[in-house]
Amino acid sequence: MCIDAQMLSAYLDGELAEPYRTQVKEHLEHCPACRRHLEDMKAVGDRIRSAEYPDELLDRNKDRIFALLDSKYFQNGRKVSFIRRRLEISIPSLVTAAAAVVFIFIGSFMFFGTSGEQTGEILPSFAVQAGSGSVRYVSDEASLDNFTLEEILHYLDSKGYNVDISIKGLQPLETPAE
Amino acid sequence: MEIKSTDRDDFRRVYDADYHLLVQVIMHIVYNLEIAEDLTQEAFERFYVKNMTFPSEDDARYWLIRVAKNLALNHIRRNKREIEMVEKVKRMPSAAADERDGASEAIERENREEVRRAIDALPENLRMVIQLKEFSGLDYKSISKVLGISETNVKVRVFRARKKLEEALRGEEDVY
Repeated sequence: MCIDAQMLSAYLDGELAEPYRTQVKEHLEHCPACRRHLEDMKAVGDRIRSAEYPDELLDRNKDRIFALLDSKYFQNGRKVSFIRRRLEISIPSLVTAAAAVVFIFIGSFMFFGTSGEQTGEILPSFAVQAGSGSVRYVSDEASLDNFTLEEILHYLDSKGYNVDISIKGLQPLETPAE
Repeated sequence: MEIKSTDRDDFRRVYDADYHLLVQVIMHIVYNLEIAEDLTQEAFERFYVKNMTFPSEDDARYWLIRVAKNLALNHIRRNKREIEMVEKVKRMPSAAADERDGASEAIERENREEVRRAIDALPENLRMVIQLKEFSGLDYKSISKVLGISETNVKVRVFRARKKLEEALRGEEDVY
């Protein structure tokens, strides 16, 4: 009887316990079919590993990133204080939160088709920014106010744009506890 | 030997031993070196900030791989649309790129693409196991520790993944 393929796979990985390992080895010596099966399996493994990325490519920034971490956490043998660490985490998330608010406002103007004046009434600070050249107008034709969001999306879609509207939650990433 | 993640010598030892492995693991999930480097850095930052003590270097390694893997998978889930768009652009035929690369690099890229397609087609539970096996060179026991499954389960999954990959890669060869 020939060897179960799963056993052969474990044998290939050197993970087969005795006495099975010896039994498989002996069987392979006089069974060309199983030998070929093992060779095929090995070839797949070689093929997969041939897609590995070269060491020098993967390690190109190893020293730089270590230097960065070293200066951040270990410089002068001093640990980063609790407060500083908290700040480092909280500032980017604040920025993200602010960006989300702005996006939601823009979105709501598109939905309800408010005019520029109305924008000023609802959110004066935004209206000032919007008028000061910090916004790049894609179209100089009649205002987008005349279109619904659906129409705008449909138009962009018909022009072949990959339109993505997303709402991002600011949930922290889960890490496994040890 | 015990490893304290906030001890500079321990940190350096773990970093030197595992940096390469983490980039490799993440790279085969995100397929973008800049992002892989960012996420590797992130994994080591978490390692430090968590301020943990591990019973051995191996345990620190299992923890790091687990975090790296989760960071990479989360990155993929969050940026699915953007990634698809970038891939679309990358796949556009570009004669200039082929000329610049030379023949052997073009073949290497093509091979990598084929393997990637075959691996991407695997169900997630098989994909992770075979990647840790083939690219990270971890043994069954280490993989079982990283993924929190039994060694028998690892053995079964490695075998199933191999079988599926064999079929997929053979299928591709028939096409050409």
